[in-house]
Amino acid sequence: MTLFDRVQRAMVYVLLSLAAFVSIFPFFWMIVGSTNTSADIIRGKASFGDQLLINIVNFLASVDLFSVLFNSTFIAVTTTFFTLVVSSLAGYGFEMFRSAFRERVFAVLLLMLSIPFAAIMVPLFVMMARMGMINTYSAIILPTISSIFIIFYFRQSTKAFPGELRDAARIDGLNEWQIFFRIYIPVMRSTYAAATIIVFMANWNNYLWPLIVLQTNEMKTITLVISSLASAYYPDFGLVMVGTILATLPTLVVFFVLQRLFVEGMVGSIK
Amino acid sequence: MTDKLKSSSLAILLASGISLTAMNAAIAEEITVWLWDMNFNGATMIEAAERYKKINPDVTVNIVDFAKADVEQKLQTQLASGTTEGLPDIVLIEDYGAQKYLLSFPGSFEPLNDVVDYSGFADYKVALASVDGQTYSLPFDSGVTGLFYRSDIYGDAGYEADDLENITWERYIEISKDVKSKTGYPTFPIDINDAGMLRILMQSAGSWYFTPEGDLNLKDNPAFHAALDTYSQVLQSPEIYKPISGWTEYVSSFTSGDVASVITGVWMTATIKASGMPGQWGVAPIPRLGSVEGSVNASNLGGSSWYVLASSEEKDSAKDFLGSVWGTDSDFYQKILVNQGAVGSLLAARDGAAYQASDEYFGGQAVWQNFSEWLGNIPGVNYGIFTNEVDSAVAVQLPALAKGASVDDAIEKINAQAQSQTQ
Repeated sequence: MTLFDRVQRAMVYVLLSLAAFVSIFPFFWMIVGSTNTSADIIRGKASFGDQLLINIVNFLASVDLFSVLFNSTFIAVTTTFFTLVVSSLAGYGFEMFRSAFRERVFAVLLLMLSIPFAAIMVPLFVMMARMGMINTYSAIILPTISSIFIIFYFRQSTKAFPGELRDAARIDGLNEWQIFFRIYIPVMRSTYAAATIIVFMANWNNYLWPLIVLQTNEMKTITLVISSLASAYYPDFGLVMVGTILATLPTLVVFFVLQRLFVEGMVGSIK
Repeated sequence: MTDKLKSSSLAILLASGISLTAMNAAIAEEITVWLWDMNFNGATMIEAAERYKKINPDVTVNIVDFAKADVEQKLQTQLASGTTEGLPDIVLIEDYGAQKYLLSFPGSFEPLNDVVDYSGFADYKVALASVDGQTYSLPFDSGVTGLFYRSDIYGDAGYEADDLENITWERYIEISKDVKSKTGYPTFPIDINDAGMLRILMQSAGSWYFTPEGDLNLKDNPAFHAALDTYSQVLQSPEIYKPISGWTEYVSSFTSGDVASVITGVWMTATIKASGMPGQWGVAPIPRLGSVEGSVNASNLGGSSWYVLASSEEKDSAKDFLGSVWGTDSDFYQKILVNQGAVGSLLAARDGAAYQASDEYFGGQAVWQNFSEWLGNIPGVNYGIFTNEVDSAVAVQLPALAKGASVDDAIEKINAQAQSQTQ
């Protein structure tokens, strides 16, 4: 190894360490913060304190944790399930079945990706109000289950699905639905895992739309609760940090459980 | 009064055969209130609701709290959508945004003139919520400003409370330089990206970015010129201020003892009292703009008020609730002053015991009495629809002013940007 190689290596590690620090520091700050008083957090105290229990007690006193976690979990899990079913079916269909309009329809879908949510928010609200769905889970779940991004993602991944498998299944007498559910889904499980993480995280953290359609304390999700706590004139940041940890844990768990498959899925999609 | 139970449930059958059920239940004679900050606005609303129970036991108050920006976002979206379903009966709106909502969504809010005697409230709070002779708010917390100063540091430099009474900005800058040279402390924190201080200066001169008719009022506005000129003098004396960035650093600068004073709203009192420096603080009236005739030693920063939605099914109860508790109950205002440090805008409240009390934290000064005196002197101005837009146009020019750019040039540029943004 020449001196130049060594220097180059050292530089790479310095850069990687910096990047790792930038990624990890917010988590460190969140955990340290949850053990300190609000005043210490404002002062920038970066060592562990003894306030964790007090912060947890205060958090539980001001938040109905069970209902908040139930709302967030129910919305995220249900949405993830239906998004995967509906959008993967669409992605599969777009790739597998040829039709004269296929590319045109798909191009329109991709164009719609560029419309910001804020632009469709008011009409969507009017629609939900007319359907009597304001302040319901359905108002949040229904508009998100056909996700153009996930359709696109599944269509790209389906390009790697071996056509021979489909032909073999047909010869063995499976109909198109059976091919999808019995052959396609098991083969594409890493793609499903990656999509699960993406959709779950997006919906767990979803903020703007739940904010607009949810109207009562009983329906609030954890993101809305934390936002409200953090925006007080004199916020108790210790309590906010406890809430943030609780909001982060489920996405971490989902990610670590599906991590191996997620990496395969991401690699698979670029083949 | 009949209680009417309205409930509707909806089941949606999805492709897979799993159904989702959602309930939406509302009980008549329940007043729903949207607000932010449960510890401050929420706690005062709960106290008011308990008092109203004695007047009208059939009415319950249901409080839903969101972040301030979230309340605004929800209100804006729902009013824009034209559907009234899901709107609350009462909503808290920050004073700077009041005209925006009242003028952009005419007919969406109820005038309260028939249930509230507005002569009993601070003039400026009434003016900001009035359109065409009708007033739409129950004025709540005031942002009356004060000059919070460290009496120990000022004392070391040879200044007593009397030296800060009735002074101009020119004098205050002189004092600040003297305090710095004698004690080493910068006088106040400044966030170069924030135009809040300019708002204070302008309102103390009875002027704003807009004329009472709502037109831009930047060029040829002597008060705006004087305010910007004064502020640029401050910005060009870096020894007298500590540059900070963002709210947390701002609060930390005076709670951790880095600066000798801060000019801010009365709502900061609780924070200053929590910083653990008893007997070391005092509150003086803010300096006035010496070059503007009619400028006073009183101004405002922030504050908010309650509004009744015209679409509300319970609007009569909501109006009665606001009018009878918030509109007249002086004892209620003593309670929320003691418990939440909330300074309301009902002038009669200042004769109560809590307002008269002296505070040892501020060296035995009757701070609430002082604040409520200044409250009555705040000039009324029209906050208009586009205060935030002009604010950002002002903030863009502040760094140049700090480097010594001409005030007239800055006003030209602010005016040009404001014009393009407010059309």
